[in-house]
Amino acid sequence: MTPRVGTGFAAALILALACTAAGQGTVARRGSIQGRVEIRRAVHPAERRPTVGDLGTPRDRPAAEPHKSVVYLESAPRGAFEPADGGRAVLDQRNETFVPHVLAVTTGTVVEFPNSDRFYHNVFSFSKGGRFDLGRYAAGKSKSVRFDRPGIIRVFCDIHSHMNAFILVFSHPFFAITDADGRYRIDNVPPGTYSVVAWNEGVTSEPRTVTVREGAASDLEFSLR
Amino acid sequence: MAAFVAWLATSSVGYAQSLPAGPLSLAGGALTVGGDVLATAGPDDPGFFTYTSYDRSLLRLMQIDLTASARAGRHVTLLGQLRTQNFGRVDVVAAYVRVRPWAHRRIDVQAGRIPPTFGGFARRAYGQDNPLVGLPLAYQYLTSLRTDSLPLDGEELLRMRGRGWLSRFTLGNTEPYHGLPLVNALQWDTGLQVHAESDVVEVTGAVTAGTISNPRLRDATGLRQLVARAVVRPMTGLVLGTSVARGPFLTSGAEAWSRSRHDDGEYIQTSLGADAEYSRGHTLVRGELMRTAWNVPHLWSATAGRPLTALALSMEVRQTLRPGLYAAGRLEHLGFSRITGQGRQSEWEAPVSRIEVGGGYRLTRSLELKASFQHNRRETFRFGRFTGLASQLAYWF
Repeated sequence: MTPRVGTGFAAALILALACTAAGQGTVARRGSIQGRVEIRRAVHPAERRPTVGDLGTPRDRPAAEPHKSVVYLESAPRGAFEPADGGRAVLDQRNETFVPHVLAVTTGTVVEFPNSDRFYHNVFSFSKGGRFDLGRYAAGKSKSVRFDRPGIIRVFCDIHSHMNAFILVFSHPFFAITDADGRYRIDNVPPGTYSVVAWNEGVTSEPRTVTVREGAASDLEFSLR
Repeated sequence: MAAFVAWLATSSVGYAQSLPAGPLSLAGGALTVGGDVLATAGPDDPGFFTYTSYDRSLLRLMQIDLTASARAGRHVTLLGQLRTQNFGRVDVVAAYVRVRPWAHRRIDVQAGRIPPTFGGFARRAYGQDNPLVGLPLAYQYLTSLRTDSLPLDGEELLRMRGRGWLSRFTLGNTEPYHGLPLVNALQWDTGLQVHAESDVVEVTGAVTAGTISNPRLRDATGLRQLVARAVVRPMTGLVLGTSVARGPFLTSGAEAWSRSRHDDGEYIQTSLGADAEYSRGHTLVRGELMRTAWNVPHLWSATAGRPLTALALSMEVRQTLRPGLYAAGRLEHLGFSRITGQGRQSEWEAPVSRIEVGGGYRLTRSLELKASFQHNRRETFRFGRFTGLASQLAYWF
């Protein structure tokens, strides 16, 4: 090892250690927002259109999953809008139902729409920023759509009128989907004061202000009518 | 009128956003109510190619349907549909009870004013499931033959060629009235229907009061037509169907007259149909072939002892071009058997052909604007051609 190379390696090592330490410090400084979204209205799964032309009872569908909510920062911290890879997500078509019913992704995400039924579906959306029609494809096949613009995408099946789902596309990663009990947690939020909104089936709450402190969890409850 | 539909389309987009896009769900989902609104505008049709009765053209129609489904327990559902056309009287299109005796077996019994068993088209919703403005000829075009009135001989029948919108015969009811389509898609029959299905095969059988050409609410002689349909789905996207129907087609007045003649034969309508549908990706193709035979014994000298027959062929293609935008086309022909009149031989009804091309654009999920151009040709001396552009705005929830 020549002295010149050795000096360079040492400098790189010191820089790497410094960056790691700084990164750990950044993670340690972040906090979280958690709480529960209470739905104070009856939310029924979408019913089939009453068609009198059927010769028999339409297929049974399994009980719908509870309609989950999405909680998100209305204004994200500076630097949160850096272009992200987005990754991949799946919105399955199973038993004449989109699973999950609500999907939240960041911009740049490619969403797969596999058909897990033994008959055709035809996924489409006429939402602004997400207008697409995947046509009819059989069981085991899948098609995908990349979502590059933030917004709410309503997804339907052109064959089965009761099939619908929501894809919420965010330009930042500070959002969370509630669990079956309505609880949520948004992690890795830089300290600061934010406006937070809860969304459920097209209904949004009034923005609520919350202050996130270093390494602490801030509680925020929502009630949607 | 077309400008009116265009204006209606543009002005209603914003309004439609606030209207329901799905059915209304009441009583915890036990009762669902849906609706269809159609506004159609088109040119005058002096040859009555597009009429469904003497005074009603499909190209100039405002139709509102209200449909309801009520679950009464796990095994029983009540279904009904009300319709008004051009703000006239309200008709009951469908009103039946559906019973599923075994919850885990896909067998249903339906009774009342039931959906048509025969053919591939009649159960489709006119606004939402029909890619064009016109209906297939077999389900709409009026032949001169009637159920309450009969021609004296072959020559009288030949004189009514191409006048199905207002035909008139000597025997039975002598008042002018419209004739029969091969299958009536706008009026449903009354009776009892049994349906069983698996993932691959469906079979349906029904007994009804009327015939596929003339569905009826009731008949003094009770349920008389037998109709059956079988469907097989050999692969995803391919549906093959076949139908058969047989029943007496004369209504009470004309039937009394026919009985008084002591004819050997019966006045029976017998129909056979085959239909196919194939879809994949953004393409949908449908085809249908049907043959209907009306047995008219007192005309046997003119028909060489054979029934009056009609043969209908229809091919339909729909191609999605962009999300919400599609193009479609339908090619059809109605042909008829030949009979003998006074010193001449001819088809008992004038053969008709139609080509219709058009498309539609979904302004919202439940609001669609359609336009189609149709050319009709009929082998008659007067009004043998009709060409027109029609537009239709369809909203459903």
